[in-house]
Amino acid sequence: MAPQHVHSFLVHPSKHDADPPQIAGTGIPRRGSLYNMLSTVFARAESECNIEIVFRCRPNGEQQNDCRDELVAYLENPNVDTGHPLASRLQRITTHRSGLGLLFLMASRDNGIHRAVISRFPADQGVIAEEHAHRLSVEFVERVFMKSAKAYKSALYSSPSLTRGFWDGRAVDLQISGPRELSDYWIREFLVSDLKTTGPAGTKRLAVALRDAIRRAGDADVREELISAASLMRRQDGTSFSVRQLAQRLGLSPEAVGAIETALPRRDLMDQVFQFDTEEFQKHVQYRAVELDNGGTLIAEDAHFNNVFREQVVNQGDRRIRFTTEGRVIDQALRKTR
Amino acid sequence: MNADIAEYRRRYDAHLQTVAAGLERYIKECLCNVPHVDRVTARAKDPDRFAVKAQCPDERGRQRYLHPLAEVQDQIGARITVFYLNDVAQISQVTERYFRPIEQRELVPESEWEFGYFGRHFVLALPRDVVPEAVPLEEVPTFFELQIKTLFQHAWSEANHDLGYKAPRALSRDENRRLAYAAAQAWGADRLFEELRAEILP
Repeated sequence: MAPQHVHSFLVHPSKHDADPPQIAGTGIPRRGSLYNMLSTVFARAESECNIEIVFRCRPNGEQQNDCRDELVAYLENPNVDTGHPLASRLQRITTHRSGLGLLFLMASRDNGIHRAVISRFPADQGVIAEEHAHRLSVEFVERVFMKSAKAYKSALYSSPSLTRGFWDGRAVDLQISGPRELSDYWIREFLVSDLKTTGPAGTKRLAVALRDAIRRAGDADVREELISAASLMRRQDGTSFSVRQLAQRLGLSPEAVGAIETALPRRDLMDQVFQFDTEEFQKHVQYRAVELDNGGTLIAEDAHFNNVFREQVVNQGDRRIRFTTEGRVIDQALRKTR
Repeated sequence: MNADIAEYRRRYDAHLQTVAAGLERYIKECLCNVPHVDRVTARAKDPDRFAVKAQCPDERGRQRYLHPLAEVQDQIGARITVFYLNDVAQISQVTERYFRPIEQRELVPESEWEFGYFGRHFVLALPRDVVPEAVPLEEVPTFFELQIKTLFQHAWSEANHDLGYKAPRALSRDENRRLAYAAAQAWGADRLFEELRAEILP
């Protein structure tokens, strides 16, 4: 799958600039090394762009989004002029920290499906060495792009409908180092979009899956690992990640990861990115219950379990543990079940 | 166009009713501790109604939907019916907590001298949680429509749908006035119950 139209714009950082520089744009011919490289980016977007996003509606609730309108206008008639508003939008929100960038707009239409990929490559520095007949010239350049062809931001959109489609897409930011930084610049500011899954919805899904995985875990080691993971997850408030990324970060065993994956409504939800919400998590994973082989069960609010019950290893070999606690009895009851 | 209608019918039978049932459960879970919720329902649009909508013209007489499967946003619709007017606002907040909107509207008659349809509408991203693993995602709509209404708003709009919107003949001025009167009474009942709720259940 190759783009039928490619346009490029040099975007200077101009956030808060009263007099931003002119944006130069050009069409990229459908041949040569640059086109081939961009075709790879275009094709790879399908697997690479893994963060599901939706355009934000207007503050008054109207189903309208300026960035989407500009994207659709470009797709209706792809050229430098129709692509210019998107480049302008990127320039208006680009700070000096983000720096100079080269924006590529790529479009195709195949079997009635419009497809668009928007990519931004950051500027870098480099040295050009040119050999002449009897000498070598060396020059320092500050506008090297794609020095690392893997460090870029991209967004992919596709739909048969230019009028009512193109409300959702997928994005990726290959420049960032960690999920906490999940690009506000690229997704929220430039694309005027939000993650498709809200923080509470993604967190609720994870919490319920974790709770179910703990209940179903046949292996005591896996259950213990999942319970420990639940405690650690509480510290992730505000961080954006997928369940798989979180599991990797917590170093969960393949068995524990598998238990969570099985407990999710769909396995592909392991890779959907959301922003963790500790308050929501607490609503669903509130109590920790420890069952002993002597018939005893200890239950306490998970966040305070280790303060309520003091744990002492009696015998490491057969994993015997003594729990001690102290308090006033405020209620006791006989129950048919736990 | 006909291909889209036939494809919708196939999807309706194959997946959409299951997805709608899943959505209903999902919304109920999101609202599990929220008071004053009378009912949550979700349905896949009836294929005959989809066909009518897919072929309806726009204001200028042109075909409104060129790609109905990608464009009709109420292929799956859900409704939350609540007791009091204040609950509509509360449920709207919960909705925005768990769903991503691309549209939200307060539907009221254009003139303050008119009475008719009232309600809050959202167009929301369909959570993938409600799509069974065996169902191909590309055969499920990306968005769904959610209505949040009071019991009185719902009662009036259902009766109006039957007697006004789908009336077998044009209504007389008196009949239209009586429908408007019923809407005004529903509006008034909502106001009274809301005032009482604020006094009795602050």
